[in-house]
Amino acid sequence: MKGAERIEIDRRYCKGCMLCQYVCKFEVFEPGKERSALDYVMPRPAKVENCRVCRLCEIHCPDMALTVVAQKKGKGKK
Amino acid sequence: MNPLAGKYLRKNFLPFIFCPGCGDGMIVHAFLEAVDELGIIDDLALAAGIGCSAWIPVYIHADVLKVLHGRAIPAAIGLKATRPSRKVVVFTGDGDGLAIGGLHMLHAARRNIEMTVVMVNNQIYAMTGGQVAPSTQVGARTQTTPYGNLEKPLDGCKVAVAAGATMVSRCSTAYPQALSRTFKKALTHKGFSFVEVISQCPVQTGRYIHGSGAPQFNLQWLKDNCVPVDDPAKWGEVEAQGKIPLGDVLQVEKPEFMEEVRKMNQKVKEERAKGGDR
Repeated sequence: MKGAERIEIDRRYCKGCMLCQYVCKFEVFEPGKERSALDYVMPRPAKVENCRVCRLCEIHCPDMALTVVAQKKGKGKK
Repeated sequence: MNPLAGKYLRKNFLPFIFCPGCGDGMIVHAFLEAVDELGIIDDLALAAGIGCSAWIPVYIHADVLKVLHGRAIPAAIGLKATRPSRKVVVFTGDGDGLAIGGLHMLHAARRNIEMTVVMVNNQIYAMTGGQVAPSTQVGARTQTTPYGNLEKPLDGCKVAVAAGATMVSRCSTAYPQALSRTFKKALTHKGFSFVEVISQCPVQTGRYIHGSGAPQFNLQWLKDNCVPVDDPAKWGEVEAQGKIPLGDVLQVEKPEFMEEVRKMNQKVKEERAKGGDR
């Protein structure tokens, strides 16, 4: 099964609209406490292990601040 | 930062000027995905007028024309006439494309000039503070219609079909992957292609017409009210329910205007060389 290695949210560009949390079917995101450079409360990828790399959050992000880095193939075997 | 943004956006212009949760940023992403798949970033020439949606091309690292309100299409026609190899894309809003620049859109579609017009429809004049637009729904309360709008909305897709556009499609930011596919189809189409994108505007449309300024609410409103339809003949049924039909309306092949002009020039030159009567 596909999984994400990490989810990066660029704190320079995030405007805290929380659409990533809204479109995610696997409840990866939750409202965080950290503020972005534009002074909005940023989401926090709390449960990255739930991620299936559908990249819905990536394409829905209106500020192009979000990146899902998928796990490399064969990493589990080593 | 998204890898696509790192590859194709002007980093010194970021962050986007758009409000939190605005659909325009999603359109930038979907457009860049289509451009990335086709690999045409060096051939792109973008044009835009005035409005929120006219900020979309400004961030893309390609040649950009930013012109008077509503006059993006005439500038793009001039560009296409002098640089036929360029892929010309015009970004307009519903005010820019249907109201002040409406006739330019009609005549570009009538002549079938090869270009892609992306009309971002947020159903209101958002940048100037939420006045009633030609695409605002009947009964909507805006800043200039505080007791409800009485004017019937103008359907951009039907206008484009009537004017003779050769590819017409309507998409929504609620379905960004479909939007990206449609951009790809429009960019490879030979002729005038018109793509209407129903977009969310949490700050103006959301707060004043739908009753909530939350981006989540506005995205869900779009998902509930935009119905993808395979057959354009069924659009009437969806519209009768008060919803917005999405999908491809038509795609046909017709002679392209600039090509015809060049052919005619060639013909006249040959006739003159022969010493014809003209």
